[in-house]
Amino acid sequence: MNTHLNVGEDTKPAYNYAYLDEQTKRMIRRALLKAVAIPGYQVPFGSREMPLARGWGTGGIQVTAAIIGPEDRLKVIDQGADDTTNAVSIRRFFERTADARTTEATDEATIIQTRHRIPEAPLKAGQIMVYQVPQPEPLRKLEPHEAETRKMHAWGEYGLMQVKLYENIARFGEVTTTYDYPVMVNGRYVMAPSPIPKFDNPKMQMSPALQLFGAGREKRIYAVPPHTSVRSLDFEDHPFRIQSWEQPCGLCGAADSYLDEVVIDDQGGRMFVCSDSHHCETRRAEGHRGAMLADASALHLVEDEAKS
Amino acid sequence: MNMQVNPQELALDPQPLLSVAGVSRFYGERIGCADVAFDLWPGEVLGIVGESGSGKSTLLRCLAGIDKPDRGEVLFRGGAEPLDIYSVAEQERRRLMRTAWGIVHQNPRDGLRMDVSAGGNVGERLMDNGARHYGKIRETALDWLQRVEIAAGRIDDRPRQFSGGMQQRLQIARVLVSEPKLVFMDEPTGGLDVSVQARLLDLLRVLVRDLGLAAIIVTHDLAVARLLTDRLMVMKDGRVVEQGLTDQVLDDPHHAYTQLLTSAVLTV
Amino acid sequence: MTTMIQVENVAKAFTLHNQGGVRLPVFDNVNFSVAAGEALVLAGASGAGKSSLLRILYGNYRPTSGRIAVTHAGRPIDIVTAVPRTVLDIRRRTLGFVSQFLRVIPRVSALDIVRDPLLARGASAEEASARAKAMLARLNLPQRLWDLAPATFSGGEQQRVNIARSFVDPSPIMLIDEPTASLDAGNRNVVVQLIAEAREQGSAIVGIFHDEAVREAVATRYLDITDFRKAA
Repeated sequence: MNTHLNVGEDTKPAYNYAYLDEQTKRMIRRALLKAVAIPGYQVPFGSREMPLARGWGTGGIQVTAAIIGPEDRLKVIDQGADDTTNAVSIRRFFERTADARTTEATDEATIIQTRHRIPEAPLKAGQIMVYQVPQPEPLRKLEPHEAETRKMHAWGEYGLMQVKLYENIARFGEVTTTYDYPVMVNGRYVMAPSPIPKFDNPKMQMSPALQLFGAGREKRIYAVPPHTSVRSLDFEDHPFRIQSWEQPCGLCGAADSYLDEVVIDDQGGRMFVCSDSHHCETRRAEGHRGAMLADASALHLVEDEAKS
Repeated sequence: MNMQVNPQELALDPQPLLSVAGVSRFYGERIGCADVAFDLWPGEVLGIVGESGSGKSTLLRCLAGIDKPDRGEVLFRGGAEPLDIYSVAEQERRRLMRTAWGIVHQNPRDGLRMDVSAGGNVGERLMDNGARHYGKIRETALDWLQRVEIAAGRIDDRPRQFSGGMQQRLQIARVLVSEPKLVFMDEPTGGLDVSVQARLLDLLRVLVRDLGLAAIIVTHDLAVARLLTDRLMVMKDGRVVEQGLTDQVLDDPHHAYTQLLTSAVLTV
Repeated sequence: MTTMIQVENVAKAFTLHNQGGVRLPVFDNVNFSVAAGEALVLAGASGAGKSSLLRILYGNYRPTSGRIAVTHAGRPIDIVTAVPRTVLDIRRRTLGFVSQFLRVIPRVSALDIVRDPLLARGASAEEASARAKAMLARLNLPQRLWDLAPATFSGGEQQRVNIARSFVDPSPIMLIDEPTASLDAGNRNVVVQLIAEAREQGSAIVGIFHDEAVREAVATRYLDITDFRKAA
């Protein structure tokens, strides 16, 4: 047992390594193994109380706690950014309870816990994505009864999911679901990819990284093992498409990343910037310059590396 | 001799589509239905009549596989292999419900998805069965809406915006789109105005004939039974007291209860 | 000629369970046969059971005992014991019933009602329409009524639609119950002609005609039902 014993530093009570007790971690690992063995299948697990409210990523935190070790490097992102409150506090949580080395660099991380995004930089073999999941059941809005949705998954009865897409096209001319867009995993289970934008769905397809999903409130764990097919649902004559923007990132000029719209002044000025903050910084460090970088720098919104 | 023979009708099917044997369902001491047995042949329409509480709805639920009876067997010969619907895996039974069987509920709300458009309601069974071409699904849905006399312009409206008669017609389209071999109907015209009933009845009559559907229709309305059914089973206290050709049973009833039923109607 | 109907020892009694189980005997030990090309007219006083016998031949009433062999698709079938789908098949292909009353089906036009038996026996839509129109014209049904549902027609008009439906493609056996009841002399003659034509084409006819002139014109043979009334 590697119990955390830095009691003397008085800010750290005698918690077990990575907060959860070893029995709980074993239980979660068993659920994870089952989830990896049946890609896309939702495995129930005994979700624990965590020192933050359910709905704030407790599922992801429990998964990370169960797999993290002293050799790991942890990256935490929220909406693509490493520096938002939730990301910072989760990172700090593992720094304090698991002596975790943390990083903002995607390619340095061994574990990336995320809410709402997959990093733009390609994932590598050996990396583990941990997704925080608010609603693991993709059929829930269509079928309120758990007993019924389980049967639908068990027997691959996914016509109803398709009806939802049909309704979208009938009403709006296209599928308007933009995030948490349902996917078919390994040709067998329909899965909720968590509220990532559909822009990120293709990154899951045949990814070399292991992808783990934890839903704390709903007490479900599921997984996509490396090199597994993840296909977004669509119609033959209305194929799946990702979002696109008419302009590149205002800061780094990237034309192939997911952009957030940011209001920059009180006059209604706006710009589109990479939601993946680390990706954007890396590109700027490499000398890529977006059309609004100079303006943003002048306003001290970002540092212009080229100037400094 | 002027004897034209339709070749389709010359070879009467060698096997019944549905064979029902000894179906019984009890609620404690009370009999839901007892020892019901019959064969249903392809294209045949069987009516089950009787007053409220006679067991006809209980029987229909058992026959349709919604409830499991305490005793009895139902064999369906709609596919390659005869299927014992009570011993078959639930998965297979559910598949049957989406393909070769259909259930038309008395209350359209029980058979429709009220938050899904008319087109989506009709298209669901197609998508259940693997259709993944939006344009073709929509085309088929439009065709069926027209067959049940719902204007093409209503395809994207939700059933909530429809009248009771339209909802019932939509439910029928939703069921028939998968071209089932056997349809169960529970008081399909119940709760509708008389004029709306007449239209629905005529529609059902034409569809059943054109599609060669076998159907089991539960009704307390003898006029409905006369118009839609070939054969009739009269139920009382959970048991079948008389059965036969519909016009035989209605015009020359032998059982005391059937005589009472038929004499209680003004004209049928 | 081929025997089309063979009736053996048929008896009928009604038991009214809800009126103290009273038993009303109608007739007993009825025996006769009808061949193709014959027109047998049932005679006997009103209430003797002529209509009941006709309904028994059609499989609509069930006799208390006896058998009725109907020649269907070349072989005799007992319509008393036949299962419903066989009875329906016999009616579809062999056995026609012409009553005084048209059972009106909502929203179905007169023309469609007349076309229906032709279509059911495999005629093309064009052929069926042409023959149906010819028949309606022959029975003097005004053309403006052809595309309307007969629910609002007069009794005589409905009756003519019914006759047109029955004779547009006469069945090998025709059971006819008072078809001319509310027709004028002209249309009555048309019906007599239609029956004669059907018979000449080989149909076996069994009928009830209250009009003596019609009876005389149609019958090749008579059968008095009164002879079979049970002396109780």
